[in-house]
Amino acid sequence: MAHRSPRQSRPQREPAGPKRPVDSVRKAKQVIQRRTIYLLLLFGAASFLAVFAKAYDLTMNQGEELKTRASQQQTRSTAISASRGTIYDRNGTVLAVSATADTVFLEPRAIQDYARQLDQERSKLLAEGKTSGLPLTGQAYKDMVAETMAELLEIDKEDVYEKMERTWSRYEILKSRVDKETVGDRVRAFITRDGNPTGRTIQGIHLQSDAKRYYPYGSLAAHVIGFLDGDNHGAYGLEAIYEDDLDGKTGMAVTARDASGADPLFQFEQYYDAEDGNSLRLTIDANIQSYVERGLENMIHQFGAANGAQGIVMDPRNGAILAIASSPSYDVNNPREIFDPALQQRVGTEKENGELVTLGDMQRLQWRSKSVNDTYEPGSTYKILTLSMALEENLVGSGSSFHCSGSKTVDGRVIRCSKKGGHGLQNLQEAVAHSCNPAFIEMGLKVGPRKYYDYLESFGLFDRTGVDLQGEAGSIFAEYESFSRADIDLACYAFGQNFNVTPIQLITAQAACINGGYLYKPHVVEQVVDPEGRVVKQFDDAPVRRVISEKTSAKVREILEFVVAEGTGKNGQVAGYRIGGKTGTADKRNEKGETKDVIVSFLCFAPADDPQVIMLLTMDTPSRNTGTYVSGGNMVAPASSAIMADILPYLGIAPQYGDDALTAADRTVPALTGETRDGAAAKLKEYGFAACRTVGSGETVTDQTPEGGAIVPGSAEIILYMGEEKSGALCTVPGVVGLSAAEANKAIANAGLIMKSAGAGGAQGIQAISQSIPEGTQLAAGTVVTVQMGQTSNTAD
Amino acid sequence: MAAERRRPMTKQEYRQMKKMQEKARRQKEREAWEAARGPMDLPFFLLAMLLLTIGLVMLLSASFPSAQASSNSGYNPLYYFQRQAMWAGLGLFAMFWVSKINYHRFEGLAKLAMIISIVLLILVILPGPKANGKLLGITHNGATRWLGIPGMGTMQFQPSEVAKVGLIVFFAQSISKKREKMKTFREGFLYHVVILAAMCALTMIEPHLSGAILIFGIGASMLVVGGIHWGWIAAGVASVLGAGYVVLFTDFMEKVVKYNAARIAVWRDPFGGDAAFQRDQAWQTIQSLLTIGSGGLLGVGLGKSRQKFMFLPEEHNDFIFAVVVEELGLVGAGMIMLLFAMLVIRGFWLAIRARDRFGSLLVVGVTVQIALQAFLNMAVVTNLIPNTGISLPFFSYGGTALAIQLAEVGMVLSVSRQIPAPRAE
Repeated sequence: MAHRSPRQSRPQREPAGPKRPVDSVRKAKQVIQRRTIYLLLLFGAASFLAVFAKAYDLTMNQGEELKTRASQQQTRSTAISASRGTIYDRNGTVLAVSATADTVFLEPRAIQDYARQLDQERSKLLAEGKTSGLPLTGQAYKDMVAETMAELLEIDKEDVYEKMERTWSRYEILKSRVDKETVGDRVRAFITRDGNPTGRTIQGIHLQSDAKRYYPYGSLAAHVIGFLDGDNHGAYGLEAIYEDDLDGKTGMAVTARDASGADPLFQFEQYYDAEDGNSLRLTIDANIQSYVERGLENMIHQFGAANGAQGIVMDPRNGAILAIASSPSYDVNNPREIFDPALQQRVGTEKENGELVTLGDMQRLQWRSKSVNDTYEPGSTYKILTLSMALEENLVGSGSSFHCSGSKTVDGRVIRCSKKGGHGLQNLQEAVAHSCNPAFIEMGLKVGPRKYYDYLESFGLFDRTGVDLQGEAGSIFAEYESFSRADIDLACYAFGQNFNVTPIQLITAQAACINGGYLYKPHVVEQVVDPEGRVVKQFDDAPVRRVISEKTSAKVREILEFVVAEGTGKNGQVAGYRIGGKTGTADKRNEKGETKDVIVSFLCFAPADDPQVIMLLTMDTPSRNTGTYVSGGNMVAPASSAIMADILPYLGIAPQYGDDALTAADRTVPALTGETRDGAAAKLKEYGFAACRTVGSGETVTDQTPEGGAIVPGSAEIILYMGEEKSGALCTVPGVVGLSAAEANKAIANAGLIMKSAGAGGAQGIQAISQSIPEGTQLAAGTVVTVQMGQTSNTAD
Repeated sequence: MAAERRRPMTKQEYRQMKKMQEKARRQKEREAWEAARGPMDLPFFLLAMLLLTIGLVMLLSASFPSAQASSNSGYNPLYYFQRQAMWAGLGLFAMFWVSKINYHRFEGLAKLAMIISIVLLILVILPGPKANGKLLGITHNGATRWLGIPGMGTMQFQPSEVAKVGLIVFFAQSISKKREKMKTFREGFLYHVVILAAMCALTMIEPHLSGAILIFGIGASMLVVGGIHWGWIAAGVASVLGAGYVVLFTDFMEKVVKYNAARIAVWRDPFGGDAAFQRDQAWQTIQSLLTIGSGGLLGVGLGKSRQKFMFLPEEHNDFIFAVVVEELGLVGAGMIMLLFAMLVIRGFWLAIRARDRFGSLLVVGVTVQIALQAFLNMAVVTNLIPNTGISLPFFSYGGTALAIQLAEVGMVLSVSRQIPAPRAE
């Protein structure tokens, strides 16, 4: 420094005091000051403004969206399942109910992470030289989880392994809706610390509460109730139609979670209350439904119906459907399994067009309700409508007479009557009882196309009935223009051919014919009831319109009662009840228009003077090889009689026996033990029993068959044991089909059993057509065997 | 005076001159010492303390979930907070100590500081027999950026943190000495740029892109302030903008560089791409955006962040600001930005008022470091720029970095002590 010139040696570090300003120093400082201001603007203002603007955009503009996404991952929402509404029948019997179930699922990432963590822990402990207290290896952990899950859930172990590898997923369902009590709680126990051999909480297995639908009666009213899809929403039937009412609003408990799924330190919980679904109260009566289903099954079995059968029971006074059944049916608890063994066998066979029948085909078939989803040419049961029209228009009356020569020619086409030789001269009542086609053609032509067509519309046959059942089909009728062009259509319509209706449409119209003329809307749901029991919706059962007058209706009832009493419908008789009805056998037209197979049917209502119940049964394609002539009267009417014999007492309609039918009426056997011989006989008489037989020689009755309190027909012979030991031997049921009522009674009484006669009364042409207990069965003495009486040789419907 | 000088000085005169010089030097030193004992700048100090306090609170809030969930932290929820608080205490001590030092002392240490910085930067990348293939460097997440502190157990520091201080001191010294020569190419521009490039290159090798960006930003800012020719500034700005454009808005990264291309793709559209993309590459950015978006205007409340529960990675570190926005909302985060801006503005104001160029440049360097780091961090967190790991001063977890930052604040305060008080009116 000493060698530098003074100018050079001037200290550079010297602060630029105001006393000795040096140009370059001052200048350099000015540059720094000026440029610092630029930096100040850039770093102190511009940069923060830019960041703030971006933060503003994220929080204020995109905030909601981002927040939603964030809360999706932050929260674990536990569904508080709302209980789906219950479906009750008209008496409060539960037909469908929901219960809690668990869905077990696996979180692949959590499992893999935890397995890795276990491996690390293990190698760390091993490195420290520890040999005991080691955790499982990751693989052993996975094995244990897979094995336990496979065992508890009854699933394939390989399946669990496969799902563990789907690390991109957080939710792999192992099994849906397992029963909470038997399976869910065991899984729950397993994943807790004490429930498994590791002594730690199991990671990656979770349970979710869910609801499971139970149908206590399996296939009962399956087509009405329907079933749910995989998400617990209605897929079919009432479950689908009333989805909005039945489905509760699922509640949620939203709780915070961290990325590992655990609860964070602070609690954040929000509840959205679950709202239980509303319940349905049906017009269906489970008992009547079961009578009808059983009756249909027996009928199908007896007559080998290839395409099943259907039955509808309705209250004609308001359109309430008491039972509606279709066969083949399915088990509502397992709707995708083929329920009917016959349908099961058809899967995989070849169809006419060469294609194979698939499982789906059969599923759709068993889900179809013939009552609602399928149309058919109704045939003779429809004639009730033609009769009603002609009566209402005063075109026919009690005094009308019809001549039948065995056929009638309309527009040059010969239409045959069922009786080749013709019915000859008949009054109106007889014409209906004979189900005479020429007579009905005459009635139809008298009404004329315009009025006839209007009546069809009034009877509601052009529109769907609007019944609250799945997939109601529409009818098929000719357009008025083509209908009115020639008489042939009208002639065929008059006896129920050449058009298609659904059974539900037909019975609705028929109910109007016999209930005083009112057309009601058929329905199965009477009330929608909220969880507190308040009625939310009530079906309005006011009639849709009036079609015919009470006078006409009364006449129709009278004539139809005659049909059952004396005509083709004899087999539909029920002892003690006044039944009105009409038989039917209708040609089935295949795609080519050929007629080969038939649908046989029977419509009946009771009591005939004041109908409280109306029933339409149809059976599709009965076998021609049963020995019974194929007709509604021979095949369907007996089944109808059996069903009605169950329904009418059940509905509390008291039987009124005529003198001849009196003995057939059911009586309660009095307890006679301790009585003297004469005392016992007197008491039996008082109770309505005509015959008694004594065994032994004691003074007083020591035992009796049947026991006191048993309900048996009054015609039964009561056996009184006077000191003698009752024989414990079983009695063998004899075969009585084909015998007359008296012969059958004798055979059964001889066997030590009691015969109850059902079905047609009278003697002419009436024989036993079926028996409730098959021949050869061993029974205790005094057991009642019901024998269905009827005729089998009806050739007309 | 010129005439007098032609005569050689007598011994007495020389001695007298020496004595005078010695007296002047002592006088100056005394003046300087007195100046250095002046009051430090209260606003700057208070702003720094405010940010430090808020930063510690936010660190506690952000870090406890991961602290209590991890075996690394011994399941102690206060683990990170305690360590950070300890370092903050150490840093405050360093800050006061440094602020008492006459900053001119640093001038003499400038070259040494630069040499130490370079040596450390080389040490960390030196290959060696360790498991990570390095001699001393410690690797985290595939980047070798740390060195152990001898005798302090597992404590570590980043040489790049030290290098920033070294760079600031060295550039301040060098630039202030060169004065108008700064306008020249060789001495003003090339000399500094070569040193800067060397430091950046060493940092990039670690690899530590964000560290290199910061070093470059600090150095460049100081050169701009230091008075290099406008032409160089223009060229520099143009090339930075050009490179930025090419990297961000063309497919240059995907096609040519490939490395880091995913970061650009994430920046362009974090929610785009398939599930794997969102889960892996974009996870951090997506989580950060979700965190910020959850905050809204007023935030979910202090301590109530949900995203910090293992969703947001690095929530107590590089992404702590996202938690700040979530908990305190746009308003709270805006206040913190404002505090940072005020600190930065006050820093530059001090630089303008500083007693000399060295002081000015020192303050500019430190202020730019704080400002750039805060901006880049917030910009990354909000996805304004692609993701690079930059910590937020006073907030992010990192003990040595915090201590160094506070020591740097001490340097600014030291400069502020020598600013002559404004004349009382």
